[in-house]
Amino acid sequence: MNNSESLKYLGLLILLGPLLGAILAGALGPRVLRGATHWVSILGVATAFVGAILVFGAVRGFAPGVTGAIAPVYDWLPTGGSSYFRFEFLFDPLTAIMLLTVTGVSLLVVIYSRDYMREHDHPEQGYERFFAFLALFVASMCLLVLGGNFVMLYAGWELVGLCSYLLIGFYYSKPSAAAAAKKAFLVNRIGDFGFGLAILLIYLFFGTVDYSKVFEMARHGVIANGAPFTPELATTISLLLLCGACGKSAQIPLYVWLPDAMEGPTPVSALIHAATMVTAGIYMIARCGVIFVASPTAMTVVAIIGAATALFAATIALVQTDVKRILAYSTISQLGFMVLGLGVYAADSAIFHLFTHAFFKALLFLGAGSVMHAMSGVIDVRHFSGLRKVLPVTYATFLIGALALAGFPMLSGFFSKDVILHHALHVRPFLGFLGIVTAAFTAFYTFRMVFLTFHGPLKLPEGVHAHESGKWMLVPLVVLSVGAIGAGYLGVEALGSPLTRFISPVFESTFGAAAKHMELGEAAEHAGFWGEYGLMIASGAIAIAGILSAYVVYVRQPWIPGLVRASAMGLHRTLWNKYYVDEAYNDAIVEPLRQTGSVCVALDDYLIDGLLWFVTAIPRALGFLLRTMQTGLLHTYAVTMVAGVALIVLWITW
Amino acid sequence: MVSYLTNLVEGILTAIILTPLIGAILLMLPPRGDDRSVRRSALAFSLIPLVLSLIAVYFFYWKSPPAGAASNYRFLQEVPWIVGGAAHDRTIASAENPGGLNIAFRVGVDAISLWLLVLTALLTPLAIWSGFTAVRERVREYHVCMLLLEAALLGVFCSLDLLLFYVFFEFTLIPLFLLIGIWGGHERRRAAMKFFIFTLTGSVFTLAGVIYLAYYTYSVLGFVNLDIRALIVMGQSGAIPFHVQWWLFLAFAAGFAIKVPLFPLHTWLPLAHTEAPTAGSVILAGVLLKLGTYGFCRLAIPMFPDAARHWAPAVGVLAVIGIIYTALCAWVQRDVKKLVAYSSVSHLGFCMLGLFSLKVIGVTAGVFYMVNHGLSTGALFLLVGFIYERYHTRDIHAIGGLAKPMPWLAFFLVFFTLSSIGLPMLNGFVGEFLVLVGTATSQSVSDGRPAGPLGLSYVVPAATGIILGAVYMLWMCQRVLFGPLTEPPHTPDTSTGLPRDLGRREIAILTALAICCLFLGLFPAMILDSVTNSVRQNVLIGTERGAVTVPPAISGQNDGLVVEARREIGIDQRLESVGQ
Repeated sequence: MNNSESLKYLGLLILLGPLLGAILAGALGPRVLRGATHWVSILGVATAFVGAILVFGAVRGFAPGVTGAIAPVYDWLPTGGSSYFRFEFLFDPLTAIMLLTVTGVSLLVVIYSRDYMREHDHPEQGYERFFAFLALFVASMCLLVLGGNFVMLYAGWELVGLCSYLLIGFYYSKPSAAAAAKKAFLVNRIGDFGFGLAILLIYLFFGTVDYSKVFEMARHGVIANGAPFTPELATTISLLLLCGACGKSAQIPLYVWLPDAMEGPTPVSALIHAATMVTAGIYMIARCGVIFVASPTAMTVVAIIGAATALFAATIALVQTDVKRILAYSTISQLGFMVLGLGVYAADSAIFHLFTHAFFKALLFLGAGSVMHAMSGVIDVRHFSGLRKVLPVTYATFLIGALALAGFPMLSGFFSKDVILHHALHVRPFLGFLGIVTAAFTAFYTFRMVFLTFHGPLKLPEGVHAHESGKWMLVPLVVLSVGAIGAGYLGVEALGSPLTRFISPVFESTFGAAAKHMELGEAAEHAGFWGEYGLMIASGAIAIAGILSAYVVYVRQPWIPGLVRASAMGLHRTLWNKYYVDEAYNDAIVEPLRQTGSVCVALDDYLIDGLLWFVTAIPRALGFLLRTMQTGLLHTYAVTMVAGVALIVLWITW
Repeated sequence: MVSYLTNLVEGILTAIILTPLIGAILLMLPPRGDDRSVRRSALAFSLIPLVLSLIAVYFFYWKSPPAGAASNYRFLQEVPWIVGGAAHDRTIASAENPGGLNIAFRVGVDAISLWLLVLTALLTPLAIWSGFTAVRERVREYHVCMLLLEAALLGVFCSLDLLLFYVFFEFTLIPLFLLIGIWGGHERRRAAMKFFIFTLTGSVFTLAGVIYLAYYTYSVLGFVNLDIRALIVMGQSGAIPFHVQWWLFLAFAAGFAIKVPLFPLHTWLPLAHTEAPTAGSVILAGVLLKLGTYGFCRLAIPMFPDAARHWAPAVGVLAVIGIIYTALCAWVQRDVKKLVAYSSVSHLGFCMLGLFSLKVIGVTAGVFYMVNHGLSTGALFLLVGFIYERYHTRDIHAIGGLAKPMPWLAFFLVFFTLSSIGLPMLNGFVGEFLVLVGTATSQSVSDGRPAGPLGLSYVVPAATGIILGAVYMLWMCQRVLFGPLTEPPHTPDTSTGLPRDLGRREIAILTALAICCLFLGLFPAMILDSVTNSVRQNVLIGTERGAVTVPPAISGQNDGLVVEARREIGIDQRLESVGQ
């Protein structure tokens, strides 16, 4: 089909554009391009963005009833015989939306980084390295969402993990950055272990790793040899996949790497650790919906993990003082919302939230970067306040992002969070209730951060000459704030919800069918005015209440936080230390393993080696015995020889 | 002209084995040049096999064999070596000429051995080149040893005669023993002795196996036949009863398992690696260890298929234990080189797992893993050597933050670390992933093939090795490359003319390896397709096609089926043709 051929080249364009940018930045950056290195990356990422728009157009133009197209590129891994794991692309609405989000935000972040990665207009050390890695990340992320089978998904999955590793460790001379990078990679590896096993199971039972074939079989409830696709198998595979998603999308219990990842440069936090890479887990669960919905158990686990993570991370965010870390916990919490959405069969809403979240969270991180830039690298709210006067544009855009995150009515976060809560309350009321509590916390901690940073009397860290950032940084902020305001309207039902309508065909036969089967859709449709808008009004009120209470506590009556802290010392300390999870992991897993390693070495050196020496001692002893006969004296040899000949003669003549 | 060339190419393997040998002899003869010219001529002599092996690759893939030649192996050559029989005319013993021995200088390659040949021919010149500044004493003798080692290794991969194989296999010990014992580190004598004794002990058993096998062929065929092809056909056709296979497999495995090394026979390796000179470590890890896995793949599995199936679970368990155990050992090492050495043992556990899945995909992946491991671990040993040349220490606590002064080193160390921990689009992933796929699907009965011996229960613990592999490698990178700069006093040592960061020579060596890693990661099918064919033709003939596993309860009624299966794969005909 001609269409598939042109789609193949489109996919290659999206991959190779940023990849070429990365290679050029890496190869020519240090010697030739130097301070202009950002151009190759910007051009590369812009190519991908244009490609993503074209893909969007192409997918919209699919004939009715066609949800996706596969474009094979080449045979990658032979699996014995003439079958291969192919390098192939899948184009469908989900891919198109993901591509648009990823390349769009990436483009803005790359542009932003041009100024951010300079000090006093001189490129920081490693400037070209930064842009090379960033472009490489965009290529890897596009590979992840473009891939047409599980092995390619895994490949993209690992490659974005690599870029994340390289970028978190960008300031590698800082031991904390190097440690954070390693932690991120390793925690993700634990997730990948589950993901990899899931792929092996899929190949073992379905005989293929192609999305289309696997999902087709799963939809009909069979596996390769015609046997039924049992719920037990579905549960096993789903939970293993979920393990991978928990790693990449920072869910309990594998979320611990994301807060530390803030050691990376802020644009990286905005792009990789907020808007794009961390949503890969959401994408994966959404993509594999048919496997997940085959197992009600797995869906329950997904929903619980999502709701628990959302609440858990939000409580930690209440007391942190590092703006980037607050935002990191907020990201974990929002990802929890998306996972909750998936768990309550509202995949289109989860993707919708992913889409809006990309705008306002990237905006918030870039805003924090702008503050950090002005404060010469300080980002702790205890060291500055009242910045709205010195950083007006940053303040305005940051405020928009914060309102969107807090779920302030009529901004993007409001709409997308609302649909998830709506579904959650219908399917799992208790988890939905947890979601509402989380939403209240979200509004509170977000505005705690805003008020502490931008309100109150002007206070600057010592020796800092604060200044508003330049155009390269402000333009992306403004563009993103337009998105943070407007993106939500793409999913508003009253306006025809173009985004959810575009994407829902992908989920029709998976999440949608399952929801219908459980008669969830019916309930939602016949809910009447209060059923439909009651929650919206309530959640808007909760957001405003959260913002107001933050205003009271941190602006009007600033003595309250100290009093609360003093009266609940234990709780505060627990939250401040993030529930001691890092310490627990270290004591319960890392240290015992290392000690086992030491034991293994001791075993190796003494027990096993000793035994082996003992065994090899037999030939050596034999050699020692024979050596005593090799005296070198001619007459002993002669005597032995004569004796030997005599023996032989005797034996023959006997 | 073209046909003349084609015929000439049929002798290319002999030329490949002989060039380093001739080079070694010429280096020893007068006129003796200075160190500089010795180094250069040794490099030149080691480059010739590389060029020749690439020509062999060209002919292997793009030229059909001359008419009449068997298609399983290419570039066959046979020169009678130890012969004799009723005819007494120095012709090779056969069914018509019984009573003698069929032992010949018999060489030929299939895709499996061809790629290992190329690996050897690639790694040796790079290793020699890497030692240009590191080796300053007895330069001539050193290079003679390297060339002899290369010749022996190339010989092993070309051999199609069991005795020839064994001679080359054992001969590799001598130059490597000298390399460790003379040009090694502080504990070189102990390391060399340990290496020698351990590996020799193992191969004594293998020798016993070879001798018994020779006797056995005599008792069955009426003459001693050590043609590997014939032995494989014998084994596959069931001509060797199970109890004989059982013992023979153990005897062969003893020698090979120590070489691999399979847990718990690995304790000689960390010491040998740490004490060996850099080039020695590169060849030791890159090629020499593959003699063990190659031995299993070329001899033990195809010749004793029933015993291989019988022992596979045991080997699998040892491989899995080895993967985890040595990974944990690697994690707590202070010596970078020892860390890489332990990682090497851990990785080869994967290779063994693939081979003993006894499925085409698993064995193919195992072979691919051998090549991969040679490239990435070889490169890691080179990098450790380059660090050692500058800092005279390998203590992970004594050096740190090298990324700042040595960006090239950082780039390559991270690159090969990623290759080693299986990052997709690099070579390591392909081997690792396909090994696991092979092991996982080992028991699945597809297109009428019998269930293999391994399965998911081996995959799950083995896959934790992937996590642990990342743990220790990234830990090492973090300590050596990142954090604040730490250097021992009075270093880096630039007295030898080495630049602070890697020099052009070092960059060129590593770039060559890096390109191979990237290429194999992106287009593994180039190699894997042909290896798959060879595995089908020469390794898993009966084990996959069902000539062996007939449930004992119904085997009495199913004899016809077995005969049918044997006819289908032409084993009887091939047995006859080889016997003649």
